[in-house]
Amino acid sequence: MDEFQEILQDFLVESFELVEKLDEDLVELENNPEDLELLNGIFRVAHTVKGASSFLNFDVLTHLTHHMEDVLNKARHGELVISPDVMDVILESIDLMKALLETIRDTSADAGIDVAECVLKLDKITNRSEEVKSSVVEAAPVVPIAQTKIIEEEITEEEAIHSEGEPDYDNMSPDDLEAEIEKLLQERQAEDRAKREAKIAAGESVLEAPPEPEEEVDSSLEPEPEPVVQAVAPTPAPVKQEEAKTEDAKAGAPAKRTPAAVEQTIRVDVKRLDHLMNLIGELVLAKNRLIKINDDVEERYEGEEFLEELNQVVSIVSLVTTDLQIAVMKTRMLPIGKVFNKFPRMIRDLSRELNKKIELEIAGEDTELDKSIVEEIGDPLVHIIRNSCDHGVEMPADRVSKGKEETGIIGLKAYNEGNQIVIQIDDDGQGLDTDMLKNKSLEKGIITEKEADNMSEKEAFGLIFKPGFSTAAAVTNVSGRGVGMDVVKTNIEKLNGIIDIDSELGVGTSMKLKIPLTLAIIQALLVGVQEEYYAIPLASVLETVRISKDEIYTVEGRSVMRLRDDVLSLVHIGDIFEVERILDSSEHAYVVVLGLGTSKLGLIVDTLVGQEEIVIKSLGDYLKGIEGVAGATIRGDGGVTLIVDVVALMQMAKDVKATPLNESSSATSISVEKTKASDYTVMIVDDSKTDRTIMRKALEPIGITLIEATDGQEALGILKAGEHNFDAMLVDIEMPRMDGYTLATEIKKYNKYKKLPLIAVTSRTGKSDRMRGVESGMVEYITKPYSADYLSSVVQRNVNFKAEFL
Amino acid sequence: MSDKLKQIINKQSEQQNDISDQLDDVVQLVGFVIGDEEYAVPILAIQEIIKPFTWTRVPQVPTYILGVFNLRGAVIPLIDLRAKFGLQTKKQSDETRFIVMRDGDDVAGFVIDRLTMAIRIKKVNIGPAPDTVNGDDTIIDGVGKQEDKIITILKVNKLLERNF
Repeated sequence: MDEFQEILQDFLVESFELVEKLDEDLVELENNPEDLELLNGIFRVAHTVKGASSFLNFDVLTHLTHHMEDVLNKARHGELVISPDVMDVILESIDLMKALLETIRDTSADAGIDVAECVLKLDKITNRSEEVKSSVVEAAPVVPIAQTKIIEEEITEEEAIHSEGEPDYDNMSPDDLEAEIEKLLQERQAEDRAKREAKIAAGESVLEAPPEPEEEVDSSLEPEPEPVVQAVAPTPAPVKQEEAKTEDAKAGAPAKRTPAAVEQTIRVDVKRLDHLMNLIGELVLAKNRLIKINDDVEERYEGEEFLEELNQVVSIVSLVTTDLQIAVMKTRMLPIGKVFNKFPRMIRDLSRELNKKIELEIAGEDTELDKSIVEEIGDPLVHIIRNSCDHGVEMPADRVSKGKEETGIIGLKAYNEGNQIVIQIDDDGQGLDTDMLKNKSLEKGIITEKEADNMSEKEAFGLIFKPGFSTAAAVTNVSGRGVGMDVVKTNIEKLNGIIDIDSELGVGTSMKLKIPLTLAIIQALLVGVQEEYYAIPLASVLETVRISKDEIYTVEGRSVMRLRDDVLSLVHIGDIFEVERILDSSEHAYVVVLGLGTSKLGLIVDTLVGQEEIVIKSLGDYLKGIEGVAGATIRGDGGVTLIVDVVALMQMAKDVKATPLNESSSATSISVEKTKASDYTVMIVDDSKTDRTIMRKALEPIGITLIEATDGQEALGILKAGEHNFDAMLVDIEMPRMDGYTLATEIKKYNKYKKLPLIAVTSRTGKSDRMRGVESGMVEYITKPYSADYLSSVVQRNVNFKAEFL
Repeated sequence: MSDKLKQIINKQSEQQNDISDQLDDVVQLVGFVIGDEEYAVPILAIQEIIKPFTWTRVPQVPTYILGVFNLRGAVIPLIDLRAKFGLQTKKQSDETRFIVMRDGDDVAGFVIDRLTMAIRIKKVNIGPAPDTVNGDDTIIDGVGKQEDKIITILKVNKLLERNF
């Protein structure tokens, strides 16, 4: 049973892969009915599926594919002309085949789908072609085109059989293989016999056979110089050749013959790749941490010899990590052709349905994208292309009257641009009419009159992405329901991508989807606000500017600034993320200019930390859907930093009221009425136990509460914990971890502690030391040694100690 | 030394036999204190218990969600049970712990005031939640009776359920 399941899985994976390419090939075939290469490829799919399904006892599928194979076989022998009608039946049968495969995938059985009707149609075609066939054969000597076709086919035939067999063999049991070879030989002999007659008749036209690609060389060489000899005894030679080739193919296949089939690939479960990607993510985080530690060490042990070595190791590790990350990212990459494949068929169906003539030109289908993006990009593209067909390209008659070609062309191309991939959809249709767009939107109440007047051309184009907008006069089966384009926008934005529209009335429309290569690891700009940090995806950052507070103006309750010739609306990141303003903001601020498509927004932050590579992690189910937050990442220090969702942020900015930046009144220090001496609290910060004891002894007599800290860091921690309301602090200057000056500077950053008296108690007596003390915000400077009374009086003065408590 | 070790091993195996004897009707819980009350959750729902460390605030959430923290590379929400139960917030002390609970794919850390102990309690000694708090919405699974006190047993899946 397990073995069967395994085979079934292989069969399904292979079949779906084959079918995927099929649609494209078939449409191509309709345009080039003479392209035997294609026809053979299609026949191969039907044949492979038939073979495997009969082996797996899927009778319905076998039945269907068998009849498909018949029709296709006729077609590739030139006994049947692929007309649109025939193609309709073939496409229908392929759809059925897909449905059957899906049923098998879901239920492991192929019951429940009726193929009888389609089989009947297929049979009809087969039978009809019987008559055609005889006429073709009879006509062969007379009609040169038919001759060439047959010969051409004869040549490709051989190749077809080889390549037809190759993919199969790996999955076949030895018996099946034997049978297959036997079958192929018989087929070939029979065909050869049939062809020989035709060829003798057409012998002189052999040389006209179009030059085939290199791989054809040995087979086409033989018939070319001595076509007649070949015609007399052709059977043994090709057969031998074929056998040899089959074996070759099994043994790794020489490149000269079929380079495409030798692709050395291995099929890996996506889960494993995802796991690998996660591990790389961890490694990137560890790398960031290592770099940070390296910087710290460099600072502390400047000039030490081992630093050089450490530096080297760190840079190697970071280099290799980056390479590794790229390598793994590449393994997850799929060519976008996988998505593009379904469009030729779609365009064909649409143009028939809409009675328009549309041609699709695809370019850059080899461009690679992360698997997860490839999966997500399909639906938006379907919507866009449908839209282009329905609204963009005009009816053939209209086109002619406008002096355009009758057939409209939709171009679909993909290419890389920096760290992004661009998918461009062009049509040469009627273009977007901005006035019409505005009027429609006004009619539907999507925008106000005032908005319409102020709209730029680009913004007007953007209207088509508004929910509820549809320009189609009539709702058709294809589009016009007013859903679709807004879904397109949300889907693209979900991928961190942006849409750019360009259009010229009467000439055409061009849409560019710009999408990042991968979703998991991105470059981000880290910004600080108060004590918090946020990461902004670098792809949405246009520039950063440092401004002073008086460059910010308020217009209609919104902050704006002048950026070169533009007016940029501003929003403070603290207003978006409800950040408590505990630190005093400085005179200057930084503005991060965010760009998303055509809209821009300035985000005010307190500090710019720098650029970093971050790994996007989800906040999990419990916290999902927080507006403005796209996820989280883990920083070098092990802390978590939230990632800004630029799309949502732009939306939120519209509703946020600007709070004045200079507001600092909120943090008035809480002054509780002192009722006894112990209500006064003073912190002693000194690394020496002796010094602390001396200070304690000096202050204990007046009965105030004393808290001790051994260095700046600890003191700051106690202060921030907020358990005590300090009235003054006695600070030593020389301390490990954080010295007195730094501590004072840090404390003064908090609005709350602006007025907290800091008293330096130190043995440093130099003038410059005193100056530094004052600069960092110390109010008194006591030099050691001092008398207990002096210290006590200084403290009493600074805490406004009430004399009655003494 | 080795005698002592043997004794311990023996004792353990005895205990284990005891456990297997009554495995069916004994529930293992971990007890902790929030405010003045003792609560417990099934030991199997607990992924780990860690000492507090820094977390990152998350905007636009109820106050009882303190934020998120980094648990060996995973970003996990941190919930203050004091705030969730409507108690005054209290400064974290030496006894404060984060309990990381898991229910299927849902994981979250919970801040508790103090751990008590692992508790074995017979199923017969667990009563239903008081009528007043009955219903589907309650996060109380039942009330465990011990010799000298009662313990409120919480539903982990309810604790991990997002309700905002």
